[in-house]
Amino acid sequence: MNLAYGNRQSYDERFMKKTMVLGFFLGTLLLAIPVWAQGPARAIPRTPDGKPDLNGVWQVLNAAAWDLEDHNASLRVPAGQSVVEGGEIPYQTAALAKKKENFQRRESADPAEAACYMPGVPRATYMPFPFEIIQNPKLITMSYEFGHTRRSIFTDGTPHPDGFPDFWMGDSRGKWEGDTLVVDVTNLDERTWLDHAGNHHSDALHVVERYTLMDPDHMLYEAALEDPKVFTRPWKISMPLYRRLEKNVKILEYECVQYLQEQKYGNAKPVVGAKP
Amino acid sequence: MKRTLLLIAVATILAATLPALQAQDQTPAKWSPPRTPDGHPDMQGMWARRGAAMAEANAPKSPLSEFGATGQPYPTVFNTGVSTPQAAAALTNRPSGIIEPANRVLPWRPEADAARREFLSHMIPPASLKYVEASARCVPPGLLGGDDRHPYQIVQRPGSFVLMYEYNHVTRVIHTDGRLHVGPNIRLYMGDSIGRWEGDTLVVDTTNFNDKTSFSQTIPYHSEALHTVERFTMVDPNIIDYQLTIEDPKLFTAPIRIAGTFAAAAKGSELMEFACAEGSQTLPNIFGFGLFPEQ
Repeated sequence: MNLAYGNRQSYDERFMKKTMVLGFFLGTLLLAIPVWAQGPARAIPRTPDGKPDLNGVWQVLNAAAWDLEDHNASLRVPAGQSVVEGGEIPYQTAALAKKKENFQRRESADPAEAACYMPGVPRATYMPFPFEIIQNPKLITMSYEFGHTRRSIFTDGTPHPDGFPDFWMGDSRGKWEGDTLVVDVTNLDERTWLDHAGNHHSDALHVVERYTLMDPDHMLYEAALEDPKVFTRPWKISMPLYRRLEKNVKILEYECVQYLQEQKYGNAKPVVGAKP
Repeated sequence: MKRTLLLIAVATILAATLPALQAQDQTPAKWSPPRTPDGHPDMQGMWARRGAAMAEANAPKSPLSEFGATGQPYPTVFNTGVSTPQAAAALTNRPSGIIEPANRVLPWRPEADAARREFLSHMIPPASLKYVEASARCVPPGLLGGDDRHPYQIVQRPGSFVLMYEYNHVTRVIHTDGRLHVGPNIRLYMGDSIGRWEGDTLVVDTTNFNDKTSFSQTIPYHSEALHTVERFTMVDPNIIDYQLTIEDPKLFTAPIRIAGTFAAAAKGSELMEFACAEGSQTLPNIFGFGLFPEQ
């Protein structure tokens, strides 16, 4: 030890200390950068009972309403990539022929577009119109702008009732699996189509939907479909739902039935002697 | 001895008068409704509506009555029964129908009264599409058209009060977040409703109606000038008092007030699907052709 320097540290010791401090500082910075790059985490909103808060107005941004599978554009129809996992819907042979026949007749035979009937499930989710989720601990209501269609998803633990008839919007019973709302849908009327391209199903259709908030403004929507009379195996679609963020956004009206009646019957003469 | 007698006398007098004194101090406890987390009355649940009908005095004969559609008691279908005998009893003592004017003679503008009588004369048989009764065309009910055979459901969230009609699956999301009405060129069958709480009463202001809904079987339309104010007040666990004020200056010279009640619906009630257009054969029968090749 060189007494001439008294209690001062040696050059080497000071260098090491500085290096350690600098290294520690840099190391912390490096670990933090990924967090900085993402920005602060956006926690999903929750209701007072701790469940994800799905309330709000939502809409898809894709071309699934016109055709669930890969398709090219045509007049007034946008192109789209398939929302079906695996790409194609696994039809049985006869059912595929029926689909092709539906496609040829779609302008006059699509129950939603040609008659303004309720679109059924899952088609109501991806119609090119917004819908509102109204959430309550025992009941989640989907209010669709298309034809003011609505369905109740009972989250009160009740099962599908026995002996119910089929409904255009089915019977929906939901439960939470972690932060995903899982909805079991049965009793779906066989007359609905899955899109405007003639994709169809039978009265045996069973749909299981999953709604998962990815962040406050984006939800992942998945639907698994099984129908042993029409498809060779179960299959699945998935797509994002986007929150409509405009200030004071609300569901307006698309009174399809009224517009169609005006078009079809507005200039028509009643049949003489007809009883309504 | 004297003191004992005095004590007994005082005690007797007190015993005799105390109940009367207590009765003077006691006012009957006013029922207070359960509350949602944001402090407003919790009116959530299933309700059966009664009484809120526009039944005018001296109504013209409705051509529809030839088909037995007017004035017949409806059978109770689905879940429109009320929950308890107390709720049913309460309904018999509540105001219902037109309460202002008290004589139920509506303050028609003479030309508007004449026009609607002329319109009614073309309804059976209907001369064309617009003369077919609104409910037979699946027209959304507007504020009066929803009927008493189908229940209602109320859901409340911070910032909105949602009234769902089983009838024609109409949903009214009444925003209570202070927003204004939509712009005047947006016209809606169900109008545009905004709400505010005045104490424990929800006051709902509705404008932006189109002119395509019906008030009743003798008032088959209204104008776009229609403006309504509704008041919902829960008066006991089974009863919501409902008041509706209507102003349509193109039809009437003064506002009209209607009273009704939402009574707690029978246990187990759920909103069932009401598929109107999907099942209706009315227009194909009248006009001889349907919307689908196979209809």
